[in-house]
Amino acid sequence: MRRTLRTPITTRVLLLSATASVLIGAVMVILIVAVTAQRNAARSAFRSQEALAAGNQLEKSLLTIENGVRGYVASRREKFLDPANEALTSYPGEVRRLTSLVDDDPGQQARARDIGGEIDDYVTLWARPLIGLARTRPASARSVVITNGGRERLDTIQRDFASLFARERAVINAREDRAEMGSARAIAIGVGGLALVLLVAAGVTLYLRRSVVRPVVTVADATGRLAGGDLSARVPAHRHDELGDLARGFNAMADSLQRSRDQLEHSNAELKRSNAELDQFASVTSHDLQAPLTTISMYAELIERRHAADLNGGMALVDGIRGATQEARTLIRDLLEYSRAGRGELALEEIDARDLVARALEALAGPIEEAHAHVHVDDLPVVRVDRAGVCRVLQNLIGNAVKFSVPGRPPEVEIGADRDGDMWRVWVRDNGIGMDPKDAERIFEPFKRLHGEEAYPGTGIGLAICERIIAQHGGRIWVTSRPGEGSEFSFTLRAAEA
Amino acid sequence: MRLAALAVAALLALAGCGGSDAPKPSTVADAKPPLRIGTKNFPEQFLLGEIYKQAIEARGVPVELKANIGSSEIIHQALTDGALDMYPEYIGVLLSEVANVRARPKSPGAPYRRAQAFEAPQVFAMLAPSPFSDQNALAVTPAYARRHHLRAIPDLKRIPGTVRIGAPPEFQTRFEGLVGLAERYGLHNAKARAMPIGSQYAALDSGRVDAAAVFTTDGQLASGRYVILRDPRGVFGTQHVSPIISRRALNRYGPKLRAIIDSVSRRLTAPAMQRMNAQVQIDRRATADVAGEFLRGQGLK
Repeated sequence: MRRTLRTPITTRVLLLSATASVLIGAVMVILIVAVTAQRNAARSAFRSQEALAAGNQLEKSLLTIENGVRGYVASRREKFLDPANEALTSYPGEVRRLTSLVDDDPGQQARARDIGGEIDDYVTLWARPLIGLARTRPASARSVVITNGGRERLDTIQRDFASLFARERAVINAREDRAEMGSARAIAIGVGGLALVLLVAAGVTLYLRRSVVRPVVTVADATGRLAGGDLSARVPAHRHDELGDLARGFNAMADSLQRSRDQLEHSNAELKRSNAELDQFASVTSHDLQAPLTTISMYAELIERRHAADLNGGMALVDGIRGATQEARTLIRDLLEYSRAGRGELALEEIDARDLVARALEALAGPIEEAHAHVHVDDLPVVRVDRAGVCRVLQNLIGNAVKFSVPGRPPEVEIGADRDGDMWRVWVRDNGIGMDPKDAERIFEPFKRLHGEEAYPGTGIGLAICERIIAQHGGRIWVTSRPGEGSEFSFTLRAAEA
Repeated sequence: MRLAALAVAALLALAGCGGSDAPKPSTVADAKPPLRIGTKNFPEQFLLGEIYKQAIEARGVPVELKANIGSSEIIHQALTDGALDMYPEYIGVLLSEVANVRARPKSPGAPYRRAQAFEAPQVFAMLAPSPFSDQNALAVTPAYARRHHLRAIPDLKRIPGTVRIGAPPEFQTRFEGLVGLAERYGLHNAKARAMPIGSQYAALDSGRVDAAAVFTTDGQLASGRYVILRDPRGVFGTQHVSPIISRRALNRYGPKLRAIIDSVSRRLTAPAMQRMNAQVQIDRRATADVAGEFLRGQGLK
């Protein structure tokens, strides 16, 4: 047997789903990180651009100061100082702005702070003193300007600016490169991850197909075969999971079903055999009893004929013998009929049921007339039946309907038929004495009588014979009745066209 | 050095805490700001700045050195504006170019007293002057002197044509410059060629100028390749160095600061300055190293 995992399917499916979820989650996280990095890069690139702009503005302010101071020293016209004064007021704010814009890079921040210090020195140690000097001693101020101290300071500051700008641009480029690389990698990972997820999904599908769907389908097929009567249907049950349990359960169920059917078949055969023996016995016994009975009644006749005078008052006894013998013969005849009924071949032919009813009524013409019964026959179908058998049934039912009438009430008998699927239900309805519903089953047992023979004559074998004939035709017979309200006997016959 | 400054600040803060009548505890944020020392725009000044800075820092007062600010005119203005606390100044230049005093007193103490008198109303103090004096002077090459028989400044008048003088730009407008030379000697055939201090020796060597405005403590003069013209009428005054300091700074750091600065100034003799100038200007040694070596030699660091 193939070695299998001892993990239940639920756990395996959970594990697979979890793996797929983790994969998808990881891919998502990587993509989110990449997008965030890209966005941060864009944001900081924008910030860097702003820093560059702020630096340029600051440089411009410095040049404005220097040019203003130079112009003022050369000309002593205050109007040269106006833009310089404005720049002198605004530059500290510009330095703060620049410093705050580069605060994400310590090196750049140090550079910005250095530049701020140099600008402060330039302003406090050069520009402002020079303006003051120019007010009091313009000639001295002019000689100082010639030394170009301001230009030198500005050159230094501009060199520092250049280095700050270069570094900032390098930072922008590095960030953009990094972000681009990151997003390219993220896209690659994302695509790879998605492919992997698809692969895993395909794997899961295949796995489920192979290890869940196929075994279930196998069990379903076997169930179908089982339902169709093939009790030998079994499924392989070597797995150690829920499907293994299902397969084992199925096999156990099939085993038990097969055992039950075997037992049933066995008892059925037993029953048939004993039934046949019983019938055989009844038939043989009845047949063998007929000969001595005939002898008894013959002797009774001889006694009556030859010794009637000698008997004196003994003639009544001989009558008793003759009557009892007649009764016994009737009983034996009925018994024989009963034991023959339902055995032997059915001579099936298509017959209009009205013909059968007509024949039965013909046979019963005497009693019907005697009882002043009124018989009504509805439309009846053509059926495929054994003529003698069904005729016997109709005759028996109609005869009963006439016989079990309420004294003083002429019997009303109605015969008809309804279609019920591929069967016809033929019914015989009367207005007779009816019966208790609890007796409705028992009256089909042999020799079962509800009334004394004095009230209603008969051996009580008729309905039992009807039951056997209808059963041999594949139909059934039953009665619905209430005491004093009449009865309705029904039996089913296969429709001729079915 | 920043650590030292912080340590001192912390110590001062602790001392403040200990004082029973201190109304509130001092914190590092209350630490005294550094003393801002400025220097003018030539090597001797850089040297003086380093010497004062290192000596003061060695005694635990933080210093911020602003070197190479410019000539007296501008650095004095910066001091007046409050952008500086102190800078070493040459008394003669201060008097003639800032205070506009043209007289040349013979007594060595007189200029110092006059300078003190000038600065006092401006809330500045002149600290003790140095023993050395770095005078301005005119120098020529020996060859040029021989050709024109030059010994003193007035001899320049005899030279036909223009005498080109290599000098810092302020030479043009200073009394200790073309103004004084014309006034005292009637020297009108001289023209100043403005150039950065220090580069006039090279200009003299190459013949681009005929004479150069120099400092008597310049290391280059020790080589004997240049001749200094005598100044019989005293256009160039004595130039002892005296640190000018704001009274507010003096008050802020207490008498200790004045004592340190004075002890340094007293040791700045002419031989010491010339030696240090030569080490910086000719031997190309780092100014800070030369200053540190000097202070250690004097037991000040």
